Amino acid sequence: MAKVGEFELLVILSILRQDDQPYANRVRQDLEQNAGRRVTRGALYRTLSRLRDKGYVDWQMEASEIPERGGHPMRRLNVTKAGTAAAQASRTVLLDFFEGLGPLADGG
Amino acid sequence: MTHPSPLLPQLLPPRRAQQLLWRALGPGDETRTILGDLAEDFAQISDRESAAKARRFYWREAVLLSLSLKGQRALSELAADADRHTLETTMKSAFSLPAIAQDTRYALRGLRMELRLYLFSMMIIGLGIGATTAVYSVMSPLMLRPLPFDQPDRLAWVANDGEGGMSGVTSRTSNLRDFRALNKSFDSLTGYFAFFEQGSTNLVGNGEPEKLIGVGVAQNFLDVLRVAPLVGRNFVDEEGVWDGRPAVILSHGFWQRRFASDRGIVGTAITLDSTPHEVVGVLPPSFDFAVIFKPSTRVDFLRPFAISDETDQWGNTLSMIGRLKPDATIPSAQADLDRIIASLQQDDPERWGLGAVVTGLQRQVSGPYRSAMWLLAAAAAAVMLIVCVNLSNLLLSKGPKRAKEMAVRSALGAPRHRLLRQLLIESLLLAVGGGVIGLALAIAITRAVASANAISIPLLKTVSVDGGALLFSMAVALVTGLVIGIVPALQASTGNVAAAFGGSSRGASASRRSNRLREALVVAEVALACVLLVLGGLLLESFQQLLDVELGFQPRELVTWKIKSARDFETLTELNAHSDELIRNIVALPGVEAAGLTDAVPLGTNRNWSIPKPGKEGEDQEMLGVFPHIIDSRYIQAMQIPLRSGRHFTVDDTVDRDRVVMFNESAAEVLYPGQDPIGRTVQLFDGEATIVGIVADVRHVSLESDSGAEMYLPYSQSWNFSSLELVVRSSLPVDVLAPSVGAAIQREDPTIPIGHYQSLTQVVDRSTSPRRFTLLLLSAFAATALLLAALGIYGVLSYSVTERTREIGIRMALGESAGSVLWRVLAKTMTLAGLGIGLGAMASFAVGRSVASLLYGVEPTDPATFTLMAFVLLLVACLAGYFPALRASRTQTVIALQAQ
Repeated sequence: MAKVGEFELLVILSILRQDDQPYANRVRQDLEQNAGRRVTRGALYRTLSRLRDKGYVDWQMEASEIPERGGHPMRRLNVTKAGTAAAQASRTVLLDFFEGLGPLADGG
Repeated sequence: MTHPSPLLPQLLPPRRAQQLLWRALGPGDETRTILGDLAEDFAQISDRESAAKARRFYWREAVLLSLSLKGQRALSELAADADRHTLETTMKSAFSLPAIAQDTRYALRGLRMELRLYLFSMMIIGLGIGATTAVYSVMSPLMLRPLPFDQPDRLAWVANDGEGGMSGVTSRTSNLRDFRALNKSFDSLTGYFAFFEQGSTNLVGNGEPEKLIGVGVAQNFLDVLRVAPLVGRNFVDEEGVWDGRPAVILSHGFWQRRFASDRGIVGTAITLDSTPHEVVGVLPPSFDFAVIFKPSTRVDFLRPFAISDETDQWGNTLSMIGRLKPDATIPSAQADLDRIIASLQQDDPERWGLGAVVTGLQRQVSGPYRSAMWLLAAAAAAVMLIVCVNLSNLLLSKGPKRAKEMAVRSALGAPRHRLLRQLLIESLLLAVGGGVIGLALAIAITRAVASANAISIPLLKTVSVDGGALLFSMAVALVTGLVIGIVPALQASTGNVAAAFGGSSRGASASRRSNRLREALVVAEVALACVLLVLGGLLLESFQQLLDVELGFQPRELVTWKIKSARDFETLTELNAHSDELIRNIVALPGVEAAGLTDAVPLGTNRNWSIPKPGKEGEDQEMLGVFPHIIDSRYIQAMQIPLRSGRHFTVDDTVDRDRVVMFNESAAEVLYPGQDPIGRTVQLFDGEATIVGIVADVRHVSLESDSGAEMYLPYSQSWNFSSLELVVRSSLPVDVLAPSVGAAIQREDPTIPIGHYQSLTQVVDRSTSPRRFTLLLLSAFAATALLLAALGIYGVLSYSVTERTREIGIRMALGESAGSVLWRVLAKTMTLAGLGIGLGAMASFAVGRSVASLLYGVEPTDPATFTLMAFVLLLVACLAGYFPALRASRTQTVIALQAQ
């Protein structure tokens, strides 16, 4: 199983967090607002491509109703089974490693 | 999210940024989703903040995205096909427009950063290009471009013996007849009446009466020049013979002006001097007789001039032009005519006025101005050279910095061709910028020259900016920029990066070498400037000398009118009475101090009669060539020509009294050396006359040439003139005087045109105009050269002071005084300037001899001029060196050491 980097993991989780509109712009906003990160567009798109190549993320083109998009389509992102599995595996590894670190593990 | 009102047009993202993305990311659905994402954020920002902010946001994102995503794609392509990729990108970056645009932008950014330096370079390039282009444009029609005739190199000018004034140049009509019959070298020979300016013709009818100037030409004149009339035809046989049917061909300018280019005028008659003349044709605009053969006059029409026994009686009157046969050359034609003359002289030993000197027509037309033009051309070239030297200096001063920049770029992977191309673009920008300034300058100068009526140089009116010259000077500037600019790039691309960084400010040997070079260039510049200054000084001195020449008359406050009545006078007495009445009316006008009549005012025309020297008879008879003037009794006083002895003419010297004559001092000395000539007689061709007065010499032909022998005859005893000129002396301004005199003339005789008058100072100015023209241009060049040399000195010293700030700081810390620093820098200036002046003086000494023909009253080695100019140059050099020297002396030790 291929490994996921930290940013990749964040992207996967963010896609999973979007209930009805898992689009690139929402993911970016989510990461900027809730993960406290400056996300450049290029990095996000590159990461998405990479995640697709790894088989963790995939998308469907979808015509958009939003007038501001000027008729451009959007991609509805979803995380594949393998992607979910990879995210869970990462979580396990992370939790294992945090285990026993005392205050650090509790966010203190 | 706020949606824009449906009534408002939705603000769209910048189109070009979208295109950039489209191109960079490649077409496809993915790119479209990215465009959509961006558009959404764009709309949000423009709603929440401002449209401008949104646009900036979009552009930034577009650029960043294309860079990051394209970079990734390029890398993957590289991996897939390394060779093809290398080839492609190399080709692309070398030849693709975006890359060239990028280099241009980079160069422009460089220009902005060193704006002053570049503007300055551009200006000096412009100065050089402008000056060179203007001079070559002026030269071009006169000396370089062929005359506006078919096969002009086949046209030859046949002078008489070529010596003396106009009479030495002109021939008798019998010569033309015999040459035509006997020669083997010319397809055809023709001529025109050279003294046409003395006569003038009144046009009456068709509006205001007007004084016209027409030239009598042999019937085949236009055929020989191969000029076809624009409208109508050439003269025919019945018109070309003596006393033939009166006919005229109008000049194009006159036709336009007077007849509004009406083609219907051809075939009708105009009244000239009360005789109807048929207008048979109109000349094409390409052929303006005056512009080529008699600059600063105008010619309104051609009329036939008979080559007959009658006109032969008039003596040397014809300017002869021939068209050489295809196999003939100037020397072969000369030999041919020499042979003919020898045999004619043998047949008729009594025959006089026989001679022929053949030259090319172009050479003849440009003849008197050739050396001046070459001088100017050389001066312009020298200025251009100085410009290039200065440019080199400027660019060399940027050299070390440049080399560093190139080394950095080269180390970061910029390919060599890219660096070279960037320098090329920079030089091109400089040359083009300079070219624009130069073109503007050249247009201004050539316009001014072409519209200057007062300069009597042939073909000047046809001057316009010469495209070839402009391109040539721009090419010179470009090549200079390139050669100098490319050195640092080559240095950098040979990989010696360390040297480029190391040799900055600590006196490395490379930098010292480039300093030596720059100093040598400054010395060369000063030397060139010195040559120009000395030549300018010599010309200025000549001009001064010329203006100080004793004219023999007082030109100030004199105005002349050519007066020619359309009336026919039966007798000389009748004409005298008419003119005397006119003069009386004019003298009575308020403000008029004196007035008189002459057939030719000084510096206008030339005429030559021969009178026998007294004392010798028969075989030994010697002749004296004199310039005859037919005048009235008041002329000498009106002109304020000093009377040396004897008396003036009086109104009593009438046609039925004894004939009287006056001479100038030079003539008196030849006729009666060491004796009192008053009361003695001379033999004129139509009788004997008594000498009643001797007057001072007057410069009649030109300011430069001595007056020679002059003779004055009263117009009451000699009808040997074709027209009269009125001279009026008055302290009133010309434009106040002219109307009242004009009115007085017309009261007396309404058929006399009054529009054409000129002040005698104008006449004097015109006769010095070619000289003034040369002087002005050369002075401008010399001044430019001086300025550039000063700037060169300033630049070099200023640079070397900056470069040595540390050294100077240390010296001053060790106790050297500010005065001593100042003095050392000045001494350096003096050394450079002194070397330049020395070399320049030597060069001037050599060059001076070749301009001797342009000088008047001053030796080409005139020590005063040399000294003065050396002094001026040294002074200017000192001034130029003073400011850097001052800066050096104010160096503060601590700052100097910190700065390094």
